[in-house]
Amino acid sequence: MGLRGRHNSPNMPVETASFLVVRLGGSYFALPAAGVRGLLTQAEAGYEQVVTAMGTVYQLTDLAQRLSVVADLSGPYMRMVLYSTERIHGAIRVEQVVGLVEVARKDCLPLPLQFQRDERSWFGGMVLYADLLVLILNPLWALGESPGVTAVSVWQAEQPIAETPITVGGSC
Amino acid sequence: MLRAARGQQQAHGTKRSWHVVVFSVGGMKFAARTEEVVEVSPWTEAIPVPSRTPFVKAMMKRNNHVMPVYDFAARLSCTVQGSPLLCLVARHLDGPLAICIDADVPSIETVEGTSIRPNGGGDIESLGSVTIGGHEVVILALQRLGRPTQDTVTR
Repeated sequence: MGLRGRHNSPNMPVETASFLVVRLGGSYFALPAAGVRGLLTQAEAGYEQVVTAMGTVYQLTDLAQRLSVVADLSGPYMRMVLYSTERIHGAIRVEQVVGLVEVARKDCLPLPLQFQRDERSWFGGMVLYADLLVLILNPLWALGESPGVTAVSVWQAEQPIAETPITVGGSC
Repeated sequence: MLRAARGQQQAHGTKRSWHVVVFSVGGMKFAARTEEVVEVSPWTEAIPVPSRTPFVKAMMKRNNHVMPVYDFAARLSCTVQGSPLLCLVARHLDGPLAICIDADVPSIETVEGTSIRPNGGGDIESLGSVTIGGHEVVILALQRLGRPTQDTVTR
């Protein structure tokens, strides 16, 4: 008897991705956890344009402005996320930190093709987590570094009608 | 509430008549071919998504799936009317697309292909227009909503 197809076993390892989920301007965003260096309160962070922690200087980034969302950063749950990529260190103020979550990579969904402009370089995809729709931020863009990716007109490629393209996972 | 079953759709081969779903947005009547409508159901709260794409600035969660919302009322510079509002899910070329429509329950009409006139939709993606109940009704090209306009009449 031949073996056909793939059968999921409870023991089969599931590829996962870790994110820090935050709230900003009424939406929820996920930052890849690998770049998170720390979380500070306003009192800890101070009010300067740079934050220095553990000998590293983090430049303040106004993510709400970059996303064109209105955020209330005066609340008690406001936190400063210290984040680093290979080349840049940034501090991002968010309204609330939801938590560190781990999601199966297959559950990361691409941004629907109807979103066709700049946002395609802002978000690497999305994930449904605890009843929330969480947009996966491109950290390079979030920190103001050129991600080397430009918005692509999706109209360039005609595609047949897909019943549920959003069910195709693996966008993280 | 209303679901277009494939088996009930008209034969494309003949193109003599079209089955269309007639609905309203901001009190204005529109039609769409039944095969371009997945379903009509009660509207639920949309989730805002930062976006620079015109009229695509939210998503809607249905069961375990999410789909973008096209703010057709904003494009028409009007406000959807009635309560409870309805959600028309379009079979867009890029995947399901939710559109908030008036509370008036849509109807299904049959129109003769020969009665469909070109244009009528202005700058809206349309397949033409037709007279239904004494009113000129634009037949929206839901598959191409948000794409460059190309008026098409296929008889």
